[in-house]
Amino acid sequence: MNLRHIVHAMARSKTGPLLIAAQIAITLAILANVVYVIAIHVGLDRRPSGLDLDNIFWVVSQGHAPDYDHARVTQADLIYLNSMPGVVAAAMSSALPQTGMGWMLGLSPEPEGEGQITPAFVYAMTERAVDTLGLRLIAGRTLRAEAVVPPGQHQESQFAHLAPEVVITQRLAEQLFGGESALGKTIHFSPVNRASTVVGIVERLQAAPPLFGSASDMEERVVIAPEVPSGPAALYLVRTEPGRRDEVMAHVEKDFGPTQPGRYIERIETLANTAASMRAADRTGAIALGTVATLVLAVTALGIFGLAAFTVTSRTRQIGIQRAVGARRGDILRYFLLENWLINTVGIAAGSALALAVGVQLATMLSVPRLPLIYVVSGVLCLWMVGLAAVVAPAKLAAAVPPAVATRGVV
Amino acid sequence: MLWHDVRQAWWSFRRSPWLTVLIIGAMAAGIGASLITLTLYHARAGNPIWWKNDRLFAVTLDNRLADPKSDGNSRHPEYPPFMLTWRDAQAIYRSDIPVRSAKMFASGRVIDPQRPGVPMFRAATRVTSADFFAMFDVPFLYGTGWPRTADETPEPVVVISRAINDRVFGGADSVGRSINVSGRQFRVVGVIDRWMPQPRFYDLSRAFDPSEGLFLPFGWTTAWELPAAGPIRCLSNDQVGSFKEMLAAECVWLQVWVELASDEQRARYQQFLDNYVREQKEAGRFPRPLNNRLADVATWLDMNDVVGDKSRILVAVALLFLVVCVLNTLGLMLARFLGAAPISGLRRALGATRRDIVRQHLTEVMLMGLIGGIAGLGLAKAGLWLLHVLLFLPMARQSINPQAQTLAHSMTHLDGLMVLAALAISLIAGLLAGWYPAWRIGRLQPASFLKSQ
Repeated sequence: MNLRHIVHAMARSKTGPLLIAAQIAITLAILANVVYVIAIHVGLDRRPSGLDLDNIFWVVSQGHAPDYDHARVTQADLIYLNSMPGVVAAAMSSALPQTGMGWMLGLSPEPEGEGQITPAFVYAMTERAVDTLGLRLIAGRTLRAEAVVPPGQHQESQFAHLAPEVVITQRLAEQLFGGESALGKTIHFSPVNRASTVVGIVERLQAAPPLFGSASDMEERVVIAPEVPSGPAALYLVRTEPGRRDEVMAHVEKDFGPTQPGRYIERIETLANTAASMRAADRTGAIALGTVATLVLAVTALGIFGLAAFTVTSRTRQIGIQRAVGARRGDILRYFLLENWLINTVGIAAGSALALAVGVQLATMLSVPRLPLIYVVSGVLCLWMVGLAAVVAPAKLAAAVPPAVATRGVV
Repeated sequence: MLWHDVRQAWWSFRRSPWLTVLIIGAMAAGIGASLITLTLYHARAGNPIWWKNDRLFAVTLDNRLADPKSDGNSRHPEYPPFMLTWRDAQAIYRSDIPVRSAKMFASGRVIDPQRPGVPMFRAATRVTSADFFAMFDVPFLYGTGWPRTADETPEPVVVISRAINDRVFGGADSVGRSINVSGRQFRVVGVIDRWMPQPRFYDLSRAFDPSEGLFLPFGWTTAWELPAAGPIRCLSNDQVGSFKEMLAAECVWLQVWVELASDEQRARYQQFLDNYVREQKEAGRFPRPLNNRLADVATWLDMNDVVGDKSRILVAVALLFLVVCVLNTLGLMLARFLGAAPISGLRRALGATRRDIVRQHLTEVMLMGLIGGIAGLGLAKAGLWLLHVLLFLPMARQSINPQAQTLAHSMTHLDGLMVLAALAISLIAGLLAGWYPAWRIGRLQPASFLKSQ
């Protein structure tokens, strides 16, 4: 049995095999790229946050009375929260980590207009910030209480009187100062035209869920500046001893609001929950892509099966004749497997080219690296196997055709 | 004749029920997946005020510093900032060329319902000028907007959303009644009926947020020193230590929209903007070349890249999936028709014309496409419901805005357009998958089959 015969036989009815090959090509292109996109998602999702995510919750107090005194209330609130049993540390913050919200300023190691400007998240937080977030300090010290700048009159004045000392993340330190130690160095902020000295470096702090794209470590560039965020809303982050989060949270929800007049508690939530909901849309998108890719594979497998089954039924008599003139069961089986393999391979070859072309397009759209070959190779192996599996049953059916079929009817 | 064809199709289904289920299942999966992604795409890509697309324009002025490094849109460095400074917004609002115009920004205020058992809550607030409501065809349940005279020396009047009216006044007609907003008493002049433009075109800094629940006359900005809740981008190194300094600074945080009735009006208004910027240049502002743009809603949505590449990719994958399903159906139908060719041969021999045979087979495929389409519609409905329950509703519950749940519903709602799309897709898919096999069968010589029977 050689390929020439198979090709010759197929040339008589090209449409079916061509359709299957086209399906396989598209399937491979979808499969390789979708798996790649999902792999990127999973990789980003698994990046450590640097936060003690399981033991932190946050609460927003909203001042509403005309005589609400933000500076006084927040000072009292911080004492209240920090002295609660079960609390490790509590601090105010101008924005919530993991959400990508808050101020972004341009940072530079040189004074304005001279050096490369690196955008970074700038959090105004009170002195226990590093403890509250559960960050790992790898150099220098944390913020001093004396350094904390009192709240501005309005949110617009945030960072107008930027503190002389700040804590930054390791990623930002590398970005700004390269291999040199950032400790004691000055960073310049634009457009507010301020400078601060780096007094501490933390290993990691994720300000936002990691994003696709070239600036893929953007979310880890964070500055913590000692400043009481302006009001009238006040965001408090509270870190509890392991396992006591829900208990402390229940207390805060019940008792915290009435401790000060002229405000109410707008919201209270665990940071873990916030982080999960920030990622929910991306996760659902990845699951949707995965589902569609699986369905494509299933439909294509059914298509291969359907066509092979049809071919076998319509060639029953020819198979009988071949058997009658000496072909063994194994020959018939091999013939069908080989024929199918040939169709699949044509589709796979076209599909590999298509997958790479789509990959190039995708890389520019999402600004991710080009589709690595390993995804195409895995896709090729996967489709070869699925194609083989789909055709085994019909091929066995063909092999089971008895030679006696040849004697029935006249051809 | 049609009835005969349908009966023939039914017999054909009966002959190979598994193949039939397989084909319909594949079609349904393809159509269902396409509909789900199209619905999600549609919610993002729609123009929520298409009927005024040629009249409404977002105004942008390019007040960036001369330094090309400073503050470029990473994809389109040629675009001016999407928002305006306080003084530019004030200055260009004074023009009487547009039929209507509105300056605005997002803020936040606390509403105290002053009813037992109803807690205080923060309401997303839009501070804007009088024309906002008429310009954007905002539907009112009770009352109307405020007059222009209420804007500059601001009167204590507000417009509220239906959701807030329900919460504070129990759904009653509250026009003329008093409402406590961050410690001040305001008078309600209008209640907006359900209004949820998606994307929220007039302020795309949070394109998929619901529209605000509280609307305040613009003059309250300075009278009450209202904070901006949206992004504030400062383009220079001005000292911003107080509210006054922020109003004077080169910081952008406001939107200005104009309604222009004709091309001539548009040209005149563009001239007005350019003249204004030329004047400012003499005062040392606007160092870059003239780059003032009037963007209609569609252009505006495109400039802000509201749709996003991720939803485009999802739609592309789903449509490719549909293509695979159609190819699959085509192959299986061909196999099935050729398998049943002797029957067609017999019918030809008994007097059926070639057209009869083609028509009968096409009917069969279209019927399967239609059943697949209906099943796909069901699948899409189920998939969207799952998305609604598992993703959008929990996200809406996270939001303190009472309108967020309505929004979640609208994002996953399968509307009439999508049902029509399902019908069209299934018929076109059926036609694509059925035309070739039916044609092949029609061309066969009846004798070649009769001979072997």
